[in-house]
Amino acid sequence: MQFKQLFDKAEALGFEAIQATLEHAENIDLQVFNGELEKHQMADTKQLTLKAIYEGKMGKMTTEVIDLSHADAWLDALKNSSLLIESKDEVFIYEGDAQYRNVDGLYNAELSNTPIEAKMAKVFDLDKAIRNVDSRITLSNTYYSENRKKVWIQNSKGLNLEKEVNNAFLGAQMVAKSEDDSRSGFDYIQSNDMNDFDVNQLAQEIAEKGLSMLGAKSIPSGDYEIVLKNTAITALLQAHVGMFSAESVQKGMSKLKSKVGHKIANELISIVDDPFKPKSTRSGAFDDEGVATTYKHLVENGQLMGYMHNLKTAKKDDTSSTGNGFSGGVSTTNMYIQPGKSSYEEMIQTMKKGLIIDDLQGTHAGTNAISGDFSLQANGFYVENGKIVKPVALITVAGNFLELLEDVVAVGNDLKFNFAYIGAPSLKLKGLAVSGE
Amino acid sequence: MLEKQVIERIINAALDSQADFAEVFVEEKKQAHIMMQSNTIEDVINQHKFGIGIRVAKGYHSVYGFTNSDQETDLLKLANDLAQSFAGDRIREMVVLGDIQKGNKHPIVLFPDTVDVQKKVALVKKANKAARAYSEEITQVSVSYMDYVQNVLIASSENVYVEDQRVRTRLGIASVASDGTSMQTGFNGPGSHMGFEFYDTFDVQEAAKEASRTAVTMLHADECPSGVMPVVIDNGFGGVIFHEACGHSLEATSVAKKASVFSDKKDEKIASTLVTAIDDGTIDNAWGSANYDDEGHLQQKRTLIKDGVLTSYMIDYLNSKRMNDAPTGSGRRESYRYAPTSRMSNTYIANGESTFEEIISDTKYGLYAKKMGGGSVNPSTGDFNFAVMEGYMIRDGKIAEPVKGATLIGTGKDALLKVDKVANNLLRAQGMCGSASGSIPTDVGQPTLRVSSMTVGGRKGAN
Repeated sequence: MQFKQLFDKAEALGFEAIQATLEHAENIDLQVFNGELEKHQMADTKQLTLKAIYEGKMGKMTTEVIDLSHADAWLDALKNSSLLIESKDEVFIYEGDAQYRNVDGLYNAELSNTPIEAKMAKVFDLDKAIRNVDSRITLSNTYYSENRKKVWIQNSKGLNLEKEVNNAFLGAQMVAKSEDDSRSGFDYIQSNDMNDFDVNQLAQEIAEKGLSMLGAKSIPSGDYEIVLKNTAITALLQAHVGMFSAESVQKGMSKLKSKVGHKIANELISIVDDPFKPKSTRSGAFDDEGVATTYKHLVENGQLMGYMHNLKTAKKDDTSSTGNGFSGGVSTTNMYIQPGKSSYEEMIQTMKKGLIIDDLQGTHAGTNAISGDFSLQANGFYVENGKIVKPVALITVAGNFLELLEDVVAVGNDLKFNFAYIGAPSLKLKGLAVSGE
Repeated sequence: MLEKQVIERIINAALDSQADFAEVFVEEKKQAHIMMQSNTIEDVINQHKFGIGIRVAKGYHSVYGFTNSDQETDLLKLANDLAQSFAGDRIREMVVLGDIQKGNKHPIVLFPDTVDVQKKVALVKKANKAARAYSEEITQVSVSYMDYVQNVLIASSENVYVEDQRVRTRLGIASVASDGTSMQTGFNGPGSHMGFEFYDTFDVQEAAKEASRTAVTMLHADECPSGVMPVVIDNGFGGVIFHEACGHSLEATSVAKKASVFSDKKDEKIASTLVTAIDDGTIDNAWGSANYDDEGHLQQKRTLIKDGVLTSYMIDYLNSKRMNDAPTGSGRRESYRYAPTSRMSNTYIANGESTFEEIISDTKYGLYAKKMGGGSVNPSTGDFNFAVMEGYMIRDGKIAEPVKGATLIGTGKDALLKVDKVANNLLRAQGMCGSASGSIPTDVGQPTLRVSSMTVGGRKGAN
């Protein structure tokens, strides 16, 4: 699509600069429930986002009615919205960087070209494989979701970028029932390469999650040694990523304010934001503002190295954008705690009386992203003398995210990413307050 | 929004197969957002959404597709692609739509698109000022204002041809209190299926102060002790406990697949006899109300639990076929980007006979959860968790010191059976509910009630 006419019109009306972002998305969603196709959905959508600077303020709008005959109305709306803005922050429409890295592995034509029948077969295979693992499995819900997105960013300062990504998600939820208990398990793989979807291994892992929890009960309240499995620590990290955003810091909504250069975590902990990870929809050579993305350490050996910035927050701190300007604010690309040397098994073997927490529920409500305080429902396993004794449910664990990063005694080598591309290895902790019976 | 003949041609194209059901959902939505933080208006964003969803089904098996295009050729192609899933000889006769139906149960006085945006900005500033003035310990206030006009047209092979207009507005106030070392937050977010006249129906400054009051109270609160104890959950947003722990398990989405703890439990006692629970999408101008659901059926009032006995599920059209039970007009969706499924509207526990004072004075030791935060539930096990945004200990029948960081956990089944007091002060509050068919406005609500024993998680450890 050509926006030159729109840009010329904007200039004539007195706008200082204008940027158009056009996204074209195609989606396929499949769901199989207990052997029957439950959902088959296809979508083809476009969205245009415009932002424009008028009298030093940024007006914004989005529309799904993408017809350049509406250009006058769009510019009118942009002008009206910019006139209401009071923020004195300098705003930017970016002319572009000299160079953008060539990021491989974002779009895999083979995935998009694979016929729907083959994708359907994967979902049915996974469903069948799960239900074949054990007769106590009474329910399985299997999902396949594929997304192909093409993005164009053009602006009146000459920026002209495009990228195309595709990705698929294959996962399932299952329920296992015993005489007096019922437990569920859920897991998934995300990739743009169909070869990564090992259906049998995934089925085993999902089934095991539910089966191993059958008969789970609460345990007495107290302090336990803790191994937070990668799945649990990613959920916790995701709830607290805002702490590392310069936007939160500048608004006084982060406990990491004025902590750059200081030790904020155990020296075993390093946290990275990597925009070049292959096969991830969060990867790319540029952010939504058109700024070249960068690989960076947010925490290195326990020391806070810096925050994630967009153009606006960087200007305020007199630094450069880190290429984390997404969705009008600051956000992660692929952020993860770097893996260490301990195996998950070793961490458990060295526990005398402890708990493995592999599942934390309700992180959207039970965490305070500003203070880091959390109190969350947890599931896991009770460990005695290095051996798993029994599954545990209906307990809560409470603590503070930053204190937890300080209390790490071992870092696992089992880095795993979640659906939001937040990753972590399993962590062994000195302890956490557990409330149970 | 789309010509009748075009819709008929789309439906008939989809039914040129073994499919026995076809539906067209057309949506146009204009939404405005104003955001204020750090005492300045930071963002004013207008959104214009338009799209069409087509659903084709045979029995309870359905396929769904959507696009932004309003071109007949694109829509016919989509209908044909969807019909491929049910390829074969046509089984339905040609569908002819009747006269279009419209509802007007929730009249709007001041349409948001006719209100001067300066008035909306002034409202946001008034809330910001009041929230900040509450205490010097308030260090940050964020105010968000939202309004939208959503026009939908729904037509299906089942004699459905309706137009509905949903006009909603909401003001969210988030306050942060800090003493330099620790920070606590408070939130209040009144909303309604109304135009700008909504802001004449309550005291905006008081609503803003309420967010700050929670934040400041929690700043001076001790950590909550953990253990099993009686919990008194206050009226209003306290109803989120029923919404999450029981409401979702009464939606056909999980009941029909026998994935709910309440599947096959109709006419059985599932709650204390003190509990009567209602889902009512017809309450005048309530946040979760509409004339029609998103399948074009009239919204209804459903009694889910009567004196502890399960009397009705919430059932959408396709799940009614799977369950062999009548649909209850409960098919809802966020937008054309979602196929509808059974969802709550305005869900609440009905008034009982106790008073708030009686319940507190009858509790020797326990937690008073005055304000609930969010929570989640696993519908297959009924395990739930809720954050308590503002809590107090109850000692010797009196509300004692404030406590922070409390989490309530349990299972919906147990909690419902353990309700042993229900007060007479029903209040509803607004929330956004996320599930299979997207994020939709729903009211939660209840009178103050007591659960005789619940696991409370907190950082202070056991007493």
